[in-house]
Formats: sequence, structure tokens, C-alpha cells
Amino acid sequence: MVIDEKLLTNAVDLALSQGATYAEARFQEDLIDSLVMRNGRVLSLSTSVVRGVGIRVLVGGALGFAATDRLGRESIEATVLEAISRARAIAPLMKKPIEFDESRVGRASYEAVPKESFEALGLESRVELGREVYKSVSDTLKKTRLSVLTFGFTTSSQRKLVVNSDGAYVRSSVPRISVWVNFVEHSPEKGTIQRFLDFGAAGGAEWLREWRVVDEVSQEASNLERVLVEGVEPPKVDVDVVVGSEIVGLVVHESAGHPMEADRILGREAAQAGESYVKSDMVGRFEVGGKYATVVEDPTIPGSYGFYLYDDEGIPARARYLYREGILFEPLHNRHTARVFGTLSNGAARAMNYASEPIIRMSNTYLKPGDMSFEELLEDVELGVYIKSYMEWNIDDIRWNQRYVGLESYLIVNGEISKPVRNPVLEVTTRGFYSRISGASKYLKFYPGTCGKGEPSQGVPVWFGGPDVKLAKIRLGVAV
Amino acid sequence: MSAVDLAGRVLYELRDRFDNVAVRVVSRDSVMLKIWNSQPGVLQMWKDIVTHLLLGKRRRVAVLEFRVSSPEEVVSAVKKIEDYVARVEESELYADLPEVKKPAPLQGGYDRRVVEYFSDPRPLAEVVVNSALSAGAERVAGTIELEEVEVALATSRGFSESYRKTEVMAYLRSFRGDLSGHWAWGSTAIDLKSLESVGSKSAEILSYAKTKSEFAPGRYDVILSPLVVGNLMNYVASMASGMAILIGMSFLAKKSIGDSIASESFTLVDAPRDALLPGSTPFDDEGVETYDKPIIDRGRLASVLHNTATGKVFKSSSTGNAGWVNPRPWNLIVKPGDSSLEGMISEVRRGYLITNNWYTRLQNYVEGQFSTVARDVVLEVRDGSIEGYVDRVRIADKFEALLKSARAMSRELYDIAWWEVRIPTRAPYILVESVNLTKPVV
Repeated sequence: MVIDEKLLTNAVDLALSQGATYAEARFQEDLIDSLVMRNGRVLSLSTSVVRGVGIRVLVGGALGFAATDRLGRESIEATVLEAISRARAIAPLMKKPIEFDESRVGRASYEAVPKESFEALGLESRVELGREVYKSVSDTLKKTRLSVLTFGFTTSSQRKLVVNSDGAYVRSSVPRISVWVNFVEHSPEKGTIQRFLDFGAAGGAEWLREWRVVDEVSQEASNLERVLVEGVEPPKVDVDVVVGSEIVGLVVHESAGHPMEADRILGREAAQAGESYVKSDMVGRFEVGGKYATVVEDPTIPGSYGFYLYDDEGIPARARYLYREGILFEPLHNRHTARVFGTLSNGAARAMNYASEPIIRMSNTYLKPGDMSFEELLEDVELGVYIKSYMEWNIDDIRWNQRYVGLESYLIVNGEISKPVRNPVLEVTTRGFYSRISGASKYLKFYPGTCGKGEPSQGVPVWFGGPDVKLAKIRLGVAV
Repeated sequence: MSAVDLAGRVLYELRDRFDNVAVRVVSRDSVMLKIWNSQPGVLQMWKDIVTHLLLGKRRRVAVLEFRVSSPEEVVSAVKKIEDYVARVEESELYADLPEVKKPAPLQGGYDRRVVEYFSDPRPLAEVVVNSALSAGAERVAGTIELEEVEVALATSRGFSESYRKTEVMAYLRSFRGDLSGHWAWGSTAIDLKSLESVGSKSAEILSYAKTKSEFAPGRYDVILSPLVVGNLMNYVASMASGMAILIGMSFLAKKSIGDSIASESFTLVDAPRDALLPGSTPFDDEGVETYDKPIIDRGRLASVLHNTATGKVFKSSSTGNAGWVNPRPWNLIVKPGDSSLEGMISEVRRGYLITNNWYTRLQNYVEGQFSTVARDVVLEVRDGSIEGYVDRVRIADKFEALLKSARAMSRELYDIAWWEVRIPTRAPYILVESVNLTKPVV
């Protein structure tokens, strides 16, 4: 750690001596190396080093946050004093003072250890992977032309030390690796089709073997060629829809994870990322779906992109049920929202970097798998559509009305996958989705994402996932 | 150490080790007050210095960012990248940094009063919040941000310049029951009247929403508020970047300069020289003097935005929009028309006024196929007057079709900056014909 921990404990002591009722000092360092290639050739290399200390204080019921990248004692103390004085200035406006819950905080040190270090993964092998992906996709396409393929490879290392006035002392180190590919295929008669796909996890170079990036991307490119050249419109009647795990993962992130963030429920994000259809008195009572609607949020999954064992308020992480068999079960809390709800924090406070205040975030969110094989999901479908992947999606700011536009999609006829379908639109409400799940496969697959929230906007790595699911009788649209 | 000194010091250490070096140092002092449920949620403050480096050697390019304060640490961290640069292949996009003339300074863009409010932004918050509450809001949420920035650029071509500017951003969402309205404003100078109208306009919208109407998906004439125009033009202008076109992230990839891509009454300008808009800058990241230019001029594609390298690929030249690697727009202005909001409403037989949107996503960038969700009240217009409201409908269309269907622009323009409009945009209301609107039925 490149900071003397005494600087942090002194900062906390100083804040308390100046009248803070709570103080927190967090050192955070993010080292990121990226490579971007276009059509198998290097566009640019980039490196970033983001390192500093974030101070958060409660003074007279008002919350102040200040950050500095200058790690000397004087500048950290000056940052503490500024946080205190400015929080004090707004304290008279607080009608409901902010208070934290009585959660037990942790004293621990942990790290995610890569099986193969980034050092073993030289620049040449990263570039070689980008070249191979481009060559393989180019060679795969027979009826379309590859207009462009962009490839990105990023490794990062995040180290934190969180100290607060309630006794937390949490030191952590998490490396992450990610690969993304964006490509456009062109057919003179049929136009274009575009795909963005990514891979991401906590750990090291060992993930590349698991991901089989070249094979996966080439297979997708080949499948999408069929969609572009042979794709038909989706049926214009109500049909059963089998939704692939990639979309299921996104759906649970957007329509179970976000609406169950307690800060949204209380209105803290109202002007930015929005509020929630969930009101605090609906928790434990409101029925959003049926028996398949069980959504879990778990930061502790080893190797996951959203991995952590203690949150940035020093609270031990644990798995949480957001929806349980169709009922709103447990919102994601930090210490402030837990106090308002009369409960204890379940460890959901995360900060993107040292200059970001910790706010309630997801980590790894998934729909609980069922017990069917993929073939069993299809077998009693006379006419339906299987939507495997997507490009366009969005959801309203209370997390109720959402849209996913299928990319790789197929008709299902008499229980068998048939012709490809182009641009089917699943536009559905949250209850519309969870109440229509009539079957789920037994396979759980995760996908990486960078979730945005807060002001200034903070992007944090997450996984989302689930099984393939079947939705009973729904009308699909088609993108214009 | 000042931003200028730091840039010069880092350049001095690196200039002999690379063929091209640019050092861009951004020193930032800012305060942000977040409001929710009509009271402060958190007051955040930052003092930081971000050092950006562009390093080129034997046609290889590396871009680095450091949020550390010592020049020694920056220089020593370059060692690793120097080794990488020596081993990697030539970049497809490489150009030597340009020889440039001294850029004309921008007049304005710095308001001392912004800094004076740092220690206590309460009076500004009270102006915004109280004007909303007195215009009928039951509760409000929003943000006020004040920022002082110094930008210094030193390059191995002998360029060394800096400028200072201030920024103010304010946006507020007003609630009445389940309904909400929103307004936003961004500037380089404090203007209490504009701050007051952020609050009042966000609440006044709600007074038009009297009865809830049924909604059926279909094509409608739609009036887009300046907030919606700002959000969508952020996407259009970003897709005018030469890099976006090269990597298949733009519907302009299939277009040439002079092609018709919008209605003849539509002009979109990149305006780095408008010192009142917060994205203003006298020079770009390569030291090239900036200038205002139309991206779309009376319906035709007029400019692709370039740095020196993308300019070379397109057999053109820098447009003063570097962005190392990725050129970018600075501020946007949509030219006004001769209409008014009232005039537009009176023209609509069956349509909607969409007051705000978010979550714009694309199915296919090359085709410009997108959708975006209305997030505050949507007013229904029938036979020339507002008859009711609906909520959270979705525009699902193509950018080119939308731009070509723009029929009228308001005379009055509004300076918009907020969470969903990151490139400051001076925008009118726009009436667009036959826009595809959707909403789930289950």
C-alpha cells in the first residue's frame, strides 16, 4: 500500500475532534492498462493511475464528502477540514438529519489472487489475441463482409484501505480482466448487423482459457450472418418466448436490482438514475411475479466481476434475496438507508474510485436457475421465438417499463429451433416479465457489465446472469 | 505546482525520449450539492490534478492518465509504457503533432462569483429549490455544481498555453404526486435568473398535466423539449467524430460531406468558442485553435470532427476537435427557427410534447436505430391544445429519419447541461413529424 495508514486514522480522529459524529477515510488506487485495436491493428495503448483519499463526514446531520489526490498529511488534513466546514454550512437545511445504523463493521484484509498474473500476459499476447479474433471472424463470414471489428483488452488492479470512526479497518486488493469486441457485418442486399460483446471477471489471465474468445466471437459472427441474410420478422400474434440467459441477466439487473436499491426507493437518486416502483411499505408484501421470480444479489462469488467481501463502509458482504418466489424481499442497503428502514446494512456501499462517495450498488445479480434442460424449455412450444442476445435496451426511471431488442434470435416451431428472426422487440413491464416465467433452465451463466449511477456518474463492474427462461404468451414487436 | 508548471516539467523530462509528446494537465476545484426530498443529500468537494499524456514514438501511440500530483511519479510510470511502445506494432492511426500558431484567447468564460460560492452554495440552492416549491412542486431533487478549472497543454512542438474557466450546472426535478417535471441549465457564469427558472420551469410543466390519457403505440407528431434535443444531439454529434465513423459506431459511416441527413431547417453547430457554454476551449488537445463549425448545415452533413490523425485518414485536416485518439465535440448549438412552443402546440393535431428523456440506446449504430424513454411528464396534444398527459412512453426510431422529419424549431434557445446532456447544448424546442412511439401493453 502506498499510503501510510496512520494518515487515514489521523484523518478520522481529526474529523471527530472537529465535531463530526461519523468520519471515514478511504484510500483507493486504481491502475488500469488498456489496448484498443481496429481490424487486427493497434490503435492505441493506454494506462491510467487514479490514486487518492476520499473523506466522508457527518456533521450536524449533514453529509460531506471531499477527495484529494495529494497524499501528504497536510493536504489530507485540509481535505478533512473542508469536508467538515462545508457539511456544517448546509446542516441548518437538514429537516431530517442523516444518521447511520448500528451495524458491526469489520477489521479484515483480503485479496483476489490471480492464478496467472497480468505480468505473464505480455503485450504481444494481448495484441495477438486481437489479431486472431479479427482474422477468425473475417474468415468465418461467407455471405456477408466484415465492415469493421474493434477489440479492447483491459486489465486493472484496485486496492483499497477503508478506515472509519466506528472501528472499520478493511484492506483489499482485487485485480480484474476484461475483453470486448464490437463488429459490424454488411450485406449489400440486407444492410448491416452489429454486435457488442464482452467478457469480464476478477482474477488474472486464466480467464482467457475459460472464455475462448476467438471461438466464441467467431461463432457469434457466423450465427449473426444467418440472422442478417435469412432473418424473418417475428410472428404478429402472442407467442411463447424463450429468453436467453444474457437477456435474463440484464432484465434482473435492471428490473430487480435497481428498483431494490434502498436509496432509489427513498428518492436519493430521483434527479439522476431515478426512483423505484417499489415503495418502502411494499417490501415483504408486493407480488411482482410467480414461483420462478427469485433474484439473488451476491458480492462474494469468487472470481466475479463485482467481487468484494466488505463494502466501502466496512460492512461484511453477504448474499441477499431481492425477490423471493415473486415477493419483494430485501432491498440493498447502506448504513444510512438501513437506519431509515429500521434494519441493518447488508453491505451494498461501493465507490468507483477515491474521488467517489460510496453509494448503494449491485455486485453480482442473478435469477435463480430452474430444473429444465434447454430442450425441455422448447419442447411444448408450437410457435415461439428464442431471443438469445441483444443490443438495444432501456428501462424507465422507476424500473417498470422496459425494452430489449433481440439480436441473435430464432423462431421455435413445434419444439425445435427454426429460422432466424431479425430485431424482435420484447417490451414489457416488470410484473409482465416476472409473472410470465413458466420455466427456467438449470444452467446459470453470468455476463459482465459496468453499471452507472450517482452524480458524478460512477461506473462499477458487475456481473448479471441467470438461466434461459420461457415466457408464456406475449406479443413481440419489431424494431423500425 | 501549477498546471502550467507541471505540464512543462513533465514535457521537459519526456521530450527527448519520444518523437511526439503532449502533456495536458487539468487542475480542478469543484463543489457539488446534491438535493433530494427538498433537502441536501450530500455536499461533495474535489481538488485534483489530472495529467494526461500522449506519447508517440516510431509511429506507435500511447495515451496515459494520472491522478497523482508529483511529476516524478508521472515520469517514472512512463517507463513501463515506453517499453510497451518499443514492442508494439505501428499504429494505424498515427500523425505527428501539428505545428500550430498561438490560439486566440477566449474572452469570458471565467466568473469569480462561481468560486465565491464554493464555501457556501446554500444561497444558490435556495434560489433553485424555492422557485420550484413556489411554482407548485411538492418535493424536489437535483444538483448544483460549481467548478473552477485550469487546463494547461505543453507539446513537443513548442506549444505551451493554458486557460482558466468556471462552470455552473444546475438541474432540478419537481414532483407533484406521481408526476414529475425537470429542467436544467449549464453556463460558465452565475446567473440567478437562469437558476430561478431551473426551479420554476421544472414545476410549471406539471400545471399542464391535468388528466391522464390512454396511450396507443404508433406514429405521432412530437414536440421535443430542449432537454430531449440536448440528449439526442449529444449522440448525433458524438457520432460525427472521425473515430466513431472508423470503428462502426456512427450512422454517418455511410454518409459523405454534403449528403442530406436532416431537414433543410436543421443546423447543428459545434461551438467551442461560445464562452458562455461550459465546454468552451480556445485550443484542442493537440494545441490546434478551435473554431465554431456546423456539423449539420441546413440539413446536410457539413463536418466530420477530426484530430490530426483521423483528419489524415479521411484525407482532411484537424477541425480543432482533438481528443487524442478520439475527436470530440465541445459545445453544441442547434440553430433557432421562427416558431414558438405555443405555435408548435397549435399546429399539432394528434401528438405529444416530450419534456425529458433518458436511457438512449442503439440497436445498430451504423443504421442509427435507437430508442429512448420519456422520464418526466409527457403532455398529450390534440387539435392544437394540451388535453392531458401520459407517462414514460418511448421514442423508437432512426436518427436520420428523426432529423429529416424535424419541421419547426423555436426561436428561443435554452442552455442545457445535466446528467443526460454531458456535452453542453443550446437547444430549441423542435417539432418532429411522424415519430414512432411505443409502450408495453403487458
